[in-house]
Amino acid sequence: MAETKTHGRHQFTLPLLAIVALILIFIFKPYAVIYGVQRGSLYALIAMPLALTLGIVGILNLAHGDFLTLGAYIAYWIFNSTGLDPLLSIFAVAPLLFVVGAGLYKITVSKVLRAPLLNQLLLTFGIAMILEEVINLIWTSRPRNVYVNYASASASIGGFRFGTYEFSYLLAAVGVLVLLRLFLKHTRLGKAAFAVGQNPKGAKIVGINVEMIYLLIFSISVGIVGIAAGLTLPRMSIFPLFGSPFTLKSFCLAAMAGLGNLTGILWSGLALGIGEALVQSIEGYSGWSDIVFFGVLIAVITIRSYRGSYV
Amino acid sequence: MLIILAVVALGFLFPLYAGPYPLHVMTTVLTYMALGLSWDMMLRTGQLSFGTAGFFGLGSYAALLTTLYLGLNPLASIFVGGVFAAIVAFALGYAILRLREIYFAITTLALAGVFTVVARNLHDFTGGPEGKILPSAIFNGDPTKVYWLTFSVALGSILVSELFQRTRIRFAITAIRNDEITAKSSGIDIFKYLLFVFVITSAIQGVVGGAYAQQYGFVSPESAFSTNFLLLPIAMCLAGGIYSTLGPVIGSVILGVLSEYLKLRFPYGHLIIYGVIIVAIVLFMPHGILGMLKKIAQKTRTEVGGNENEK
Repeated sequence: MAETKTHGRHQFTLPLLAIVALILIFIFKPYAVIYGVQRGSLYALIAMPLALTLGIVGILNLAHGDFLTLGAYIAYWIFNSTGLDPLLSIFAVAPLLFVVGAGLYKITVSKVLRAPLLNQLLLTFGIAMILEEVINLIWTSRPRNVYVNYASASASIGGFRFGTYEFSYLLAAVGVLVLLRLFLKHTRLGKAAFAVGQNPKGAKIVGINVEMIYLLIFSISVGIVGIAAGLTLPRMSIFPLFGSPFTLKSFCLAAMAGLGNLTGILWSGLALGIGEALVQSIEGYSGWSDIVFFGVLIAVITIRSYRGSYV
Repeated sequence: MLIILAVVALGFLFPLYAGPYPLHVMTTVLTYMALGLSWDMMLRTGQLSFGTAGFFGLGSYAALLTTLYLGLNPLASIFVGGVFAAIVAFALGYAILRLREIYFAITTLALAGVFTVVARNLHDFTGGPEGKILPSAIFNGDPTKVYWLTFSVALGSILVSELFQRTRIRFAITAIRNDEITAKSSGIDIFKYLLFVFVITSAIQGVVGGAYAQQYGFVSPESAFSTNFLLLPIAMCLAGGIYSTLGPVIGSVILGVLSEYLKLRFPYGHLIIYGVIIVAIVLFMPHGILGMLKKIAQKTRTEVGGNENEK
């Protein structure tokens, strides 16, 4: 989990370029920036836990997005049976998903930690399939909505009207990022987890309970997805495959930021969110916006490989 | 050898003694068998590819569109599908075959995503999300001829796979899989071999896709790039046993027939059982059915006392 620092001049040129680009986009397509920031922070919020598992446990969880679906349906179910606000139900959904993650880790994931990559991917893939189909069986494929009046709140700046509720994604993403960083840098447990991520063997030698750290990190990651689930429910309609696209998008952000760089995920999320919104705002080409993520993912991975980071 | 010939003859004559429903099931099984073999061939080099559905879809589109626009003979168009997939694989291979492990896997998955987005958005050429329909399916939809077509494609894949297993290529491929540095120092041009295998396997996937599209006379982004063509073959290979020709063949027959049975028994939720099977195989039978049989054979051999009893 090493922070990657760019050296020398690059340290200033890159942010500067980004700011200039942002101002230019804002002048020509203000909506793209607003929607991009909103969507991008949601992507980042969901990607951070995936990166956490990938960086410390070393498992790419292909069922990651489906936990989002599961969490959203649980929040929906709570809303329907008790009328509890989806935002408040986060306090139930996140711990519940934490437990689900812990159970799943104990029963399945812990068994394949030393297995070949293929087995790990297939295992989480199988879990994804089971989750999707179970949800499909219980709640059917009919899209579900929850209506709460604050979700349609909007504001206007200089004639632009836009929804304000989605800025809660940004708040949550920043909040989770700050908490995770505090946890990893300043608590005993977090430091231990950090050490396990860097060198599991060494961590074991100095007496860290690696198994326990893995269990904890995996469960925390799934729990964080529960936060995202409660946040998205008021604004999006959910269906059994609602979360699965987020898996690849999350991996895209993790790969773009570089392993272990949680702050980078937020920046990457914002950049890709704005990029996506920008393509969507071009008339007649909105369908091409999906290609932004795939394209950037391929480009970033390939360029990094030429620099020798992954080979 | 006699057994193999008998099985091939049995497979060839299958339409003569089986009804239309078993024939349809077997056609599907053979499609997945060819895909599984091609995926396994790539895996033998140590590269986990998730691009199966992508190249399958490319072949589907190439075959169907050449028939539709150029009036090409359907059989010839299937060949075109393979060539097109091979050309794309050759061009992309230069960029992505330097990647390893998770990064190669995810990049191939992302490429399939890019293909889907392109196919969905070139409305005038590919028909967009609705896809394109041919006036008539291949052989006017005669199930026996369709079966023989798929049978020959599968048989071709088996032959290529055996060729890979029995010639010098095998040593190079196995060496690369086991340890790339050692392979390199033994004078193996790793990149050349990877590119070769990648192009050949993509061509097979293209041909299978072409045959599938012509079989139904229909192609759409959702059907051609369906994750089924990625996941089911992988699950079948894993069930049968990877790194061999026999494994994917056994796996596809068993899982293919089983999934059809499950579909009849449990019209809703049969995919849950399928997912459970995948998870169970990863957890309890990581070497597949073939690996388990080998283990049992070894056990009995030692019990009998060094009795040579091959096959």
